[in-house]
Amino acid sequence: MARLITPVFFLGVGIVYLILTSDLTRSRVGDPNGPLYFPLLIGAVLVLFSIIYFVQEWRQRDEKFEELKVLFTGRAPFLIVSTLVLIFVYTSLFERIGFLISTIIFLTGLLFVVNGRKPWIKNILIAVIFSFISWYSFSELLNVSLP
Amino acid sequence: MGVVVQSFIEGLTTALQPMNLLWVLIGGFLGTVVGMLPGLGPATAVAVLIPITFGMDPTSALVLMAAIYYGAMYGGSRSSILLNTPGDGSAIAATFDGYPMAQKGQAGQALTISAIASLIGGTVAIIGFILLAKPLASFALNFGPAEYFLLLVFTLSAIVSLSRGNMVKGFISMSVGLLLSTVGIDLQTGVHRFTFDIPQLSEGIDFLVVIIGIYAVGEVLYNLIGIDQIKKEKNKVGKKGISREQWNQSKWPILRQSPIGFLIGVLPGAGGSIAAMLSYTTEQQVSKHPEKFGKGAIEGLAAPESSNNAASVGSFIPLLTMGIPGSGTTAVILGALIMLGLQPGPLLFENNPETVWTLVNSMFIGNLFLVIINILIIGLLVKILDTPPKILYPMILVLAFIGTYTLSYSIIDFYILVIFGLIGVMMKLLNFPIAPLILAVIVGSDMEQNFRKSIVSYDNIFNVLFASPITITLLIMTILSICYPFIVGWIQKRKA
Repeated sequence: MARLITPVFFLGVGIVYLILTSDLTRSRVGDPNGPLYFPLLIGAVLVLFSIIYFVQEWRQRDEKFEELKVLFTGRAPFLIVSTLVLIFVYTSLFERIGFLISTIIFLTGLLFVVNGRKPWIKNILIAVIFSFISWYSFSELLNVSLP
Repeated sequence: MGVVVQSFIEGLTTALQPMNLLWVLIGGFLGTVVGMLPGLGPATAVAVLIPITFGMDPTSALVLMAAIYYGAMYGGSRSSILLNTPGDGSAIAATFDGYPMAQKGQAGQALTISAIASLIGGTVAIIGFILLAKPLASFALNFGPAEYFLLLVFTLSAIVSLSRGNMVKGFISMSVGLLLSTVGIDLQTGVHRFTFDIPQLSEGIDFLVVIIGIYAVGEVLYNLIGIDQIKKEKNKVGKKGISREQWNQSKWPILRQSPIGFLIGVLPGAGGSIAAMLSYTTEQQVSKHPEKFGKGAIEGLAAPESSNNAASVGSFIPLLTMGIPGSGTTAVILGALIMLGLQPGPLLFENNPETVWTLVNSMFIGNLFLVIINILIIGLLVKILDTPPKILYPMILVLAFIGTYTLSYSIIDFYILVIFGLIGVMMKLLNFPIAPLILAVIVGSDMEQNFRKSIVSYDNIFNVLFASPITITLLIMTILSICYPFIVGWIQKRKA
């Protein structure tokens, strides 16, 4: 039955979207309903295809549903969670301590997670060199301002 | 014709400027490197390298992005041939005979023929571009809002019905993209829509963040999940020279499939995947030895490689003449061009002819350069990138963050980026095609404006659909494109 979650989710998105559309402020210029037409059309298309999708999945409800299994096999859960945590740390450090140092920390962490602890010298070297090159090429050569 | 020749020469001069030559080299090289990574294709390569174009003049940016695009196409063939892991749809057909060739110890020859086939495909398509682009742009000048609206409807339905996987999921993916495009202040009336009083949302969701999120962060995260399963490639490239016999087997398939690939590329929505598949199957059907296909037949590699490269050049025609991207990658390029202030469309040929002709010439130069890279130093590249994915994927993630930050200098976008990255991963896992969403996010607002303008001129939707011979033709094409998978299924059932 897990396979029915996605179609129900999209059906929900479609219905909520249609309700939000009907609640939109009416326009004071031109056709008062002008801003509504296109969203109504999209909402209707989304609801229609979500229903078809639901019916398709309902017919296969007894078959095994393994599309999401990879998320829970091997190192995958560890990789996903640690990457998200690192991204969160990176985001909170980025403007505070600047691009260069935060990127070195982020990339070193990520390389340790992905590439393993064994090649640690390589990981750190790559992180430092890559961060420096990207900082130099963006802020010095391409004049993009980075914190 | 004289004007065209003059513009062509002007374009050639601009393309040969040292700076533009350098961008072609850099773009081609970086595209090749990203494209070589298993699981990453041209759309990701362009998305991740968008920040390099910031601050560039639009012509150079276009030259660079095109170079990244076909660089990634060349690079992608390598992971198809050596690892049996295509980066995107258009590289799938290259695995059918490319990988068996590599298993037979002919990897070097497979890479050589793929580079030569791509060069010929690209060159034929560039000639086609020169002949077709200007007339098509003049034709597109006749398009009013109703015609544009239906053209966009056709493009979206074509990309849905032709993208891999299930059509219903494609339409859902498209609707979600259109839905995202309606967030923000309505351009015509100033009404706030779906902003939930969050100030950052009043300008809408930046489509470049969506693109980088789904194509760069999403694809990288998806590949990180399976990182331990990536096979380590064998480093033996083997002999690179191809024999006279191999050339004789390949030359006609290449020459036949290049123009076909080009024409398929010109159709909005079709693109490289369809071109490559179609070339493969037609060559198999006309071959005297169809049983050799799938077992390392060189013509089975040459045909799709020439046509997908031709299609990638062809896909620039709807992009530049009508402002309609025909594929995920050209959608990404369109997004970046709009941000740089260049609006592709029929007027581009009137107002900025040098941009178009510079691109054409640089494409030719870039293809030549890539053949040299891919034949002469491929062995070296293979060695340099010996254990690339585990190191390169994290670097790509960093580039995605730099790109996003430079769009608006706001950390909030990082969260949006990650959300779309996760959406991208889920879509990949659940087999939702991504291109319809990307395309819809980019053209959504344009589509709505044209829709509303045409409703005002023609009163109701039915009058819009039947407004002119062009709209009626586009309506018929839309219906055909939706029915196409059913027709194909019916024919296959009858055959079986």
